[in-house]
Amino acid sequence: MTASIDNTGSIISARGLTKRYGRTAAVDNIDLDIPAGRIIGLIGPNGAGKTTALKAILGLATFDGELRVLGLDPSKQRAQLMEDVCFIADVAVLPRWIRVWQLIDLTEKIHPRFSRERCMEYLSRTKIQQDKKVKHLSKGMVAQLHLALVMSIDARLLVLDEPTLGLDILYRKSFYSNLLNDYFDEERTILITTHQVEEIEHILTDLLFIQNGKIALNTSMEEVESRYCEVMVVPDRAAEARALCPMNERQVFGRHVFLFRDRDRATLRELGELHTPSVADLFVATMEDGEAQVAAATQAGAAQGGAA
Amino acid sequence: MNRLLALMQREFWENKGAFRTTPLVIGGIYVLGALMMIFTTAHIDNELYTFKESVRFAAQQPEELRSQVLYQGLLASSVFFTIVMWFVVFFYLLGALYDDRKDRSILFWKSLPASDTLTLVSKLLMAMVVAPAAFLAALIVTHLVIAIIASLMILAVDQNPWTLFLSVSQPIKAWSLIGLTYLAQSIWALPLFGWLLLVSSFAPRLPLLFAVLPPLIISGLQTWIGFLRTFTFENNLWGVIGRWFAHSPAIMSVQIDDDDGGNVALGAPVVDGFDHAITVMNIFDRLLSLEMLAGLVVAVVFLAGALWFRHRATDN
Repeated sequence: MTASIDNTGSIISARGLTKRYGRTAAVDNIDLDIPAGRIIGLIGPNGAGKTTALKAILGLATFDGELRVLGLDPSKQRAQLMEDVCFIADVAVLPRWIRVWQLIDLTEKIHPRFSRERCMEYLSRTKIQQDKKVKHLSKGMVAQLHLALVMSIDARLLVLDEPTLGLDILYRKSFYSNLLNDYFDEERTILITTHQVEEIEHILTDLLFIQNGKIALNTSMEEVESRYCEVMVVPDRAAEARALCPMNERQVFGRHVFLFRDRDRATLRELGELHTPSVADLFVATMEDGEAQVAAATQAGAAQGGAA
Repeated sequence: MNRLLALMQREFWENKGAFRTTPLVIGGIYVLGALMMIFTTAHIDNELYTFKESVRFAAQQPEELRSQVLYQGLLASSVFFTIVMWFVVFFYLLGALYDDRKDRSILFWKSLPASDTLTLVSKLLMAMVVAPAAFLAALIVTHLVIAIIASLMILAVDQNPWTLFLSVSQPIKAWSLIGLTYLAQSIWALPLFGWLLLVSSFAPRLPLLFAVLPPLIISGLQTWIGFLRTFTFENNLWGVIGRWFAHSPAIMSVQIDDDDGGNVALGAPVVDGFDHAITVMNIFDRLLSLEMLAGLVVAVVFLAGALWFRHRATDN
């Protein structure tokens, strides 16, 4: 049974969101509420259902279950929704035949919240020439152009699906710093997927891990700091640490690093140096945890089946 | 409305070659042909003797005949423009909902607040209105340029171009009739336009094959089954398409009808009891026929299908 959506404060609300391709569910019965003013990292392994979920949110795919974005049904009201939502789906989707000035012209005519002045201001900081065709720009310039367009639109929700894929490190850095310094404020919400988690972890306010079409973790960064803890332990005391049931264990330079959830800090501090795990480490631990649970459930199911 | 115009602007920018360059090139071919004819004449004709004689001969003909021949000439010169326009529109529509899926820019277009319906309408209007307008405009410019060249030539042999042909030609009448047939063809061709947009909206690749193969296969099977049953070749989809094409309100060739010496007709004026003559009355008769109504129903079904697919389309 899925409860009906009544949370009007949410930018995105989903109840029982499901998307099937044949027998496999790319997105499997997700419930979700995303409030305004957050920067959410939607992170998951390849094929976990990230892009499928984003497509449903953007009205680019049909789905089962209930989904509201800014109070609208994206599958039926995409055009209306796009007045308040912007998205960049990977770097290479700007039409290649178009000239930069034509692109700006069209966006201005079609988008009621587009500001030409802002766009010109952003573009003036780049080397992009207005009479160039998109196909003659470098990959990094196309990304800059797309970001300039999107940042010039006064939208409430910005969705970025691998926005910096294939760009060099300089472009990636300036991409995210522009986003944070010039665009983000407490009215706006940004939803980002990327595999390069290290680059965005300092700008995120929330984490959303997705695995096999389900949400594996939905937490704020503050919560990560208070609930998760990594301990560096010398080999002699590793057994002691293991007894406390860590989520994950790995070895770095001969030391054992254990990741704990909801453990008393005083106890852990005796074992070694404490710090907050990186998003990447937390991700790996969560994914392994999830796979182990799935394996256990399958085994239990098989055992039950055998018994019957 | 502004959004629709912006979307049409986009189509024009994206397909400048089809909507702007192509009609101009055809006009250019006409002008080039005219110039080549002049140079050839000047080259082989001793001091333009034959040309002078021809002009003198033409000037002696009755005004009525000169007027009629010029009018037919204006109409006849549109045939090439019309045929190329069909090709341009055909391939434009075939790519209209396909190209942006192929190069993934659909993800950008769908990020703009323009509905799928508006997008479809913008593409249909390009085929129905903008293409005919562009080709007619190029035809008019071509006529004017050639009229200037002809006038200069006639002045060069000491004849008066005004009395010889400018005053007796009826360009406005010819252009209006051509324009009317273009608009009528746009309505007449709606089932085809709908079909092309439908194919364009779903074809995973090679939209041309998807557009052409199904009617070929269906009519082939129909012919075969019909032959097995009755040992005759009965009417089939191919016949329907052929009749639709033959009945199209288009100027495909020009001939002077023997009786009243004025009808502009498609090949044969009356075939199988169908009046092919392109007159204003006949054009309206066809647009108000049951055939046209059936065509509109088919077109609506195809367009609804195209919209359905467009609504679900993403980059893969």
